[in-house]
Amino acid sequence: MPRRIPIRFSTRISEMRIPKKCTPFLPVLAGAVLLIALTTNDRLVPLGPPPIPPDNPQAVDEDGFPLASDPKVELGRILFFDNRLSGNASISCADCHSVDFGWTDGSDLCRGYTGTSHWRNCQTLINSAYYDKLFWDGSSKSLEAQAASAAMGAVSGNGERDMMEERLRQVPEYVTRFRDVFGTTWPNLGDAWRAIAAFERTLTQTNTPYDRYLRGDASALTDAQVAGLELFRGRAGCIACHNGPLLSDQRYHALGVPENESFEFDALRQITFRYEQYVKGVTEEQYRKTKTDLGLYYVTKREEDTGKFRTPSLRYTLYTAPFMHNGVFFTLHEVVDFYDAGGGKQKGDDGTGTPVLEPLGLSDAEKDNLVAFLESLSGEEIRMERPEMPPYGTLK
Amino acid sequence: MRSTAFVLVPLLLAALWSEAVPHFGTGSGQAAPTPLETLGRYLFFDTRLSGDGSLSCASCHQPEYAFAGSDALSAAYPGSDGFRNTPSLIRVGARGSYFADGRLPASDLETAVRDAITETHFMNLDGRLMQERLKQVPRYVELFQEAFGEATAEGAGAAAEPTFGRTLAAVAAFVKTLDYGRSPYESGTMSEAAVRGEALFRGKAGCTSCHVGPAFSDNRAHVTDVPESEALFAEPLRHATYRAFIKAMGVPNYMTVRRDVGRYTVTKNEADRGAFVTPTLVGARHTPPYMHNGVLETLNDVVDFYDRVGGGVGSPGGNGGARAQDARSPLGLTQAEKQDLVAFLEALSGDMPVVERPELPRYEVIRNWNTTDN
Repeated sequence: MPRRIPIRFSTRISEMRIPKKCTPFLPVLAGAVLLIALTTNDRLVPLGPPPIPPDNPQAVDEDGFPLASDPKVELGRILFFDNRLSGNASISCADCHSVDFGWTDGSDLCRGYTGTSHWRNCQTLINSAYYDKLFWDGSSKSLEAQAASAAMGAVSGNGERDMMEERLRQVPEYVTRFRDVFGTTWPNLGDAWRAIAAFERTLTQTNTPYDRYLRGDASALTDAQVAGLELFRGRAGCIACHNGPLLSDQRYHALGVPENESFEFDALRQITFRYEQYVKGVTEEQYRKTKTDLGLYYVTKREEDTGKFRTPSLRYTLYTAPFMHNGVFFTLHEVVDFYDAGGGKQKGDDGTGTPVLEPLGLSDAEKDNLVAFLESLSGEEIRMERPEMPPYGTLK
Repeated sequence: MRSTAFVLVPLLLAALWSEAVPHFGTGSGQAAPTPLETLGRYLFFDTRLSGDGSLSCASCHQPEYAFAGSDALSAAYPGSDGFRNTPSLIRVGARGSYFADGRLPASDLETAVRDAITETHFMNLDGRLMQERLKQVPRYVELFQEAFGEATAEGAGAAAEPTFGRTLAAVAAFVKTLDYGRSPYESGTMSEAAVRGEALFRGKAGCTSCHVGPAFSDNRAHVTDVPESEALFAEPLRHATYRAFIKAMGVPNYMTVRRDVGRYTVTKNEADRGAFVTPTLVGARHTPPYMHNGVLETLNDVVDFYDRVGGGVGSPGGNGGARAQDARSPLGLTQAEKQDLVAFLEALSGDMPVVERPELPRYEVIRNWNTTDN
């Protein structure tokens, strides 16, 4: 994601207005805040508008936020809910990224395509526009690519390119809408992904209590949440990875998250686990022996990337349980407990790498405060009606 | 003399056939199925060979309809719809090529099976996912071992787990076992009407300009001007599916095509537009409706059609041996002659094979998952 320097400076200045109970020492404090701002604190900033790729432009408001009224977005919204963008025309993007479950499917491991089970947790689409890469292992480089990948993967959408494209062309309303938006005689599948991505870029949330607090509204957070914020950027060390406007460093880390036990007793998950080893191009020996998700390794094939997953944003987590790449934690409390205990078994434990997590020794009250703060990272739940699907028609 | 040869040659061929190919349940004197064929029978009926687990090979190639379908146009994977008639799989080994456009050679039945399993409008399954599904069924692991494991000096077989290629080979092996019982034509027990019909078939009606050889097919593509299916371009999902197919096959201007281009899909030769490979007539009695798009419901309709448009058909694309299309003229068959011809066509069919649907083995959880090699 392109870092927009001017915004970051302006928000950093606004952040200097946040001190509570310290006004008598304002000059001293200002200096201290500036010092901190130049080190770690500068990475806590409100969320601005999402980046928009030059090859998929869309209409934005005066602040740079994508407009829902853009015809491209309207088209994308219909496509997002359209089952015809899957193999058997039974599921749409909105089935795994459901408005009823915080734009996830609410399961620890994603439901997957009919007759299959997926093997990772579905991530929310809210604020997905800010990621530079998509999927837990960053295997997709844009929302456009992610949409195509999800619609076509055998355990996700299982759609086939030509069939999906011809279905779109068989819908007179789509023919008109694609022509209006993209200027083509017939709908092209690549444009469908562009429209869906444009729609997804409207799914942002930048007015959380946390954002309002950073913009100077000291009353936006409760005392417990402020205490949690201090722990977050202080002793608990969360900010080491969960930083920046998105509260994600967009990097990949191995934390030793516990295995999801359903792989041990669910035949469909076992099938998919092996299938993923196969399709991600590991060696024969790795295919035989691997029993844990290798994460970023599948993309880079570098030993040191084994078991690393992209730091997720903490925004909107009030609605997106369960958590982690394999959904093993069902509450934010469980997540905090995991980090409090120093994470799980990591590479560093067996002498092959550097441990990144240490036990935190948080009290129960501190954990509560931390969770209270995490809850301030979500605003109102974003919901949406399923649009009416345009019917097939006969082509003359 | 001549009629004796007509009886004896097919008899001889039939004898060779049953010698060469053991089959399931078509009567006495058949070899027991091999482990490969047994495995193939399970797979043939297993819906886990489709992407969403909803279809097996037998969903379209239905045993009760001579391993063909009863609809004019085939069913297809959910979310798509068929654009041609499902051909029978019985005696598929005698074909010269596969599919109505002849796009795959007869020597490669395994690839035809691959098409059926993986193409989006057939069963739409990723072959890698298929492999992992089969490995999750312990009984399949055993059946693959029995079919493909090589015995060693110690008697233990080398590991032969389910793979995509082995699956194709097993399904193909099973399909090749499917045979009809001996037909009246093959056993020399045709009715008098059928005998008269055969004379018409080889004479006045000109059927043998294309329907020749033991399978009654010259394995060439001809333009016969069979009426276009009304459903193909009127039903949105069939049209979309057909477009997806010809687009994938590289047919130019596929958006404006409103008539099945047939063999042209393969050759891109304008003369092959609307040409379809001559189907076998063996077993035809069991496989209505007829033609590549199922527009003719009965054998009577087929005979009426050729009586009207002319029996000698051809493709101007130089298929050699076939008469030029413009030489065709109505046959002028009497009603009695048509009945005799139909009687002969019916006499080309023996009893359908009886193949029971096997009870399918289930997925099982792999215990000790963390300590068991994948």
